[in-house]
Amino acid sequence: MSAQIDIAAQDTQEEVVAGGLAALASVDHIVSSSTVDGIPVLFAARASEQDGQRTAGLFFRVGSADETLATAGITHLVEHLALHGRQLAEGHHNGVTAEGYTLFHVHGTDEEVVAYLNGVCAALTDLPTSRMDVEKQILRTEAQRRAGGPFRPMRQWRYGAQTYGLAGYDELGIRRLSAEDVRAWAGERFTRDNAVLFVTGDALPAGLDLSLPSGARIPAPTASSALPQTPAFFQGEDGHVVLDAVVERSAGAIVLAQVAARALFRDLREVGGYSYTADGDYSRRDATHATFTLYADALPQQQGAVVGGMIDTLARLRLGVIEQAELDAVRAPLLTWLDSPDLAADLLPTYALDVLLGHPVKTPETSRAELEAVTVEDLRQVAEDVWAGALLQVPGRAGAEWAGMAVAPQRSAAAVEGIRYPRVDNPDVALVIGLAGVSLTTPEGAATVLFEDCQLLSARPDGARHLIGADGFSVAIEPTLHVGLNGPSIEQGVDARVPEHLVARLPARDPQEIPQPRPPTQDVGARAGIGGWIDRHLDLSVNLLRQVFLVVLALGVVVTLQTEFVGSALVVLLLVWGIVQGSVGIAWWLAARRRREVGAARR
Amino acid sequence: MPRKRPSAAPPPVPPLFTTEETHPQIASMQAVAATEDWAAVAALLEELSPVDRDFALRYLSDVEGVEGLLERALEDDPRDPLLRTLLAERYVHIGWGIRSRYRAEHVSREQFAQFHDWLRRAEQILLEVCAEHPTFVLAWDVRLTTARGLELGHSEARRRYGRLASLDPHSYVAQKALLQQLCPKWSGSWEDAHGFATGCAESAPAGAPNGAVVALAHIEHWLELDPPEKERYMASAAVRDDLRRAAARSVRHPEHREDFHSVGAHNAFALAFLLGDHEEDAAVHLRVIGNRASGAPWDYVDDPVTYFSYFRDAVLAAG
Repeated sequence: MSAQIDIAAQDTQEEVVAGGLAALASVDHIVSSSTVDGIPVLFAARASEQDGQRTAGLFFRVGSADETLATAGITHLVEHLALHGRQLAEGHHNGVTAEGYTLFHVHGTDEEVVAYLNGVCAALTDLPTSRMDVEKQILRTEAQRRAGGPFRPMRQWRYGAQTYGLAGYDELGIRRLSAEDVRAWAGERFTRDNAVLFVTGDALPAGLDLSLPSGARIPAPTASSALPQTPAFFQGEDGHVVLDAVVERSAGAIVLAQVAARALFRDLREVGGYSYTADGDYSRRDATHATFTLYADALPQQQGAVVGGMIDTLARLRLGVIEQAELDAVRAPLLTWLDSPDLAADLLPTYALDVLLGHPVKTPETSRAELEAVTVEDLRQVAEDVWAGALLQVPGRAGAEWAGMAVAPQRSAAAVEGIRYPRVDNPDVALVIGLAGVSLTTPEGAATVLFEDCQLLSARPDGARHLIGADGFSVAIEPTLHVGLNGPSIEQGVDARVPEHLVARLPARDPQEIPQPRPPTQDVGARAGIGGWIDRHLDLSVNLLRQVFLVVLALGVVVTLQTEFVGSALVVLLLVWGIVQGSVGIAWWLAARRRREVGAARR
Repeated sequence: MPRKRPSAAPPPVPPLFTTEETHPQIASMQAVAATEDWAAVAALLEELSPVDRDFALRYLSDVEGVEGLLERALEDDPRDPLLRTLLAERYVHIGWGIRSRYRAEHVSREQFAQFHDWLRRAEQILLEVCAEHPTFVLAWDVRLTTARGLELGHSEARRRYGRLASLDPHSYVAQKALLQQLCPKWSGSWEDAHGFATGCAESAPAGAPNGAVVALAHIEHWLELDPPEKERYMASAAVRDDLRRAAARSVRHPEHREDFHSVGAHNAFALAFLLGDHEEDAAVHLRVIGNRASGAPWDYVDDPVTYFSYFRDAVLAAG
């Protein structure tokens, strides 16, 4: 159930811990280090902290990116269970489950900090799993209150339903997790060998008892990918435009994010008035890479302009059209921050994470030098890298092929072969259940989940199933919608092929939520056969009718001349009518040809 | 519509309908572009005033095979914004030729695919030119056409026009391009189209050709109406007065100095007045035009040659 841990590549834990602390040697003039119960500790005084108050953070190298879709939420659940009962009379504490780490954070007196940390470690060693159901409910409630936001689809489209993509999904694993699962996860990931502690202050507080099981340092997961080609775009909901890319961590990228933020704000809001919010962001992802993001909302009717404006702004950055003043304006406050008296204390979380991730620690002097060395050319290079790896979310029906971006995959490469269950209300759409997996096929292509790639199978008592694949594609199986699809065919064709540990059993749905086939429409235009053809081609039909009359007329004339058939008056009538119909038909045809023209003039 | 239908007899003096005929320097430039190299073309362009040069440049994209000339010139100077923009404009011209002038419902899927392909090639060149040379007006102008053809929407077209107008607030060519986008046939509205046209006319300096955008807007509107609404619209006092105001401020203004735009602007007014039977107003412009008609907007009527000739002769004969 857990991600693969490459034990063979690990040094002994002592070496790893020692190695991590050794990395702090370069900053030992500002940050002190030690170990407590086998956990590396960093500490530095914060001058501005009031007497008797200190801040501490206990990091574990485990987060949502380490999970799978079937276990999504397990880290968060452990965090919640560990914090159960943590009541501090005063002081502030919280837990954060991020993608690459989990952090238990506290600010208060020595007693409060020590009690908190000791309590968390004790709880992690013996999780109060009797509280599981309550905490699961709390997590579900928290999830519902969280707005979806435009950044979740970005994760799904870039990473699929794995690693860093899981942040784009709900915690779908919560429901199926057992007490054993949770204890096993804690025992594997929340260990002293997979932790780093930081504390503010000249010395560690007394009384720390942080006994945790031994384990292994677990490296950050290797990112998955659902994007075969970049730059790429996909269509998301209305109202905002987001662009992101994964870049190497660098001072240049940090600076570019702020330069781009200011440029977007000026171009999209101040000058154009297309957006209210326009921003750029740089967020470290793991030891070596960061996520670079550009964001702008779009006022109504302005979505096209926001897309075009963002692409144009990034274009000038990646082509190096950057004023030195733009760089300097961003650099100055960053350098000032490096001068702050509490810098060491402010850097403790960063250094702690570096040690945890096995990443070299950078002294403030080095950071300052790197920042001062950033040039316009560096910014151009980062922007070029951003564009090369970019994923753009555009609103509504807009596209970005015009800017040279590929369409992010909207269809699976192929459909599986198997038993076909057409939709009751649309025979062009069909569910296919095969030995290799399931597909939903349409004339435009298919969505496929192969059983070997299935990340989660959600099951409803009414027979509905939902499969999500590693690449993020999913297939919904609704027995009410497909001809011939019944319980046994689902059980044998699907359930039997997905291992139990990937199955989430959802509660029964409200009958009104169960989809029903659409009733057949009374659409005249959809009439098949000659009737329908005539409806769709009225122009042509009427003209054909006129031609038929002319032919009949001609025949009539020939017949009359040949046989002097009685009814020459009838022939005259036909002749007159024929001429009238013929000329009206010709006039109509000419007018239709005229109507077709123009409308496309360029000058 | 005119009271009398013109006869089919050939006119005594054939009017000139292409820009190449009405502006001989354009024809020379095109001939040079077809046979010589960029240096020769550039030399000819240097002899023109900036306004006329801007006008003339756009006719290079009509020259068959000019992409070869431009690509050779780009080998020596790959980042030159003018050469890149002209190449992009040539791609736009090729793409639009494939799409044809028919309305969308009569263009095949294959034609549209090729059309979009050519326009995307152009757009990607122009995107970089505008990023590297943000004040290069011509590139922004061609991007108005690519935006329209690639259906990037009104807000994006207006954004590009806004960038252009901040550099050149009275670009007659750009205003004509945006006017197309604002018409219902390109998903706009008459309110937007006429509103924009009026703004162009009123904010332009006295004597500038921009007032003709008002005439073009009315002609576009006339085109979409059916009889008898069609005739009533152009004959109405409101439209006539609008045209008179715009003309008085532009090509009929004492400060108007003839340049390459003048012929086109006069022709726009002439046709607009004629469509409403305002023959005396039309006469003023027809006298200036003489023999020099223009493809657009006369190609909006059936048989523009006969139409123009008849009215030029009839109206000018009347006084």
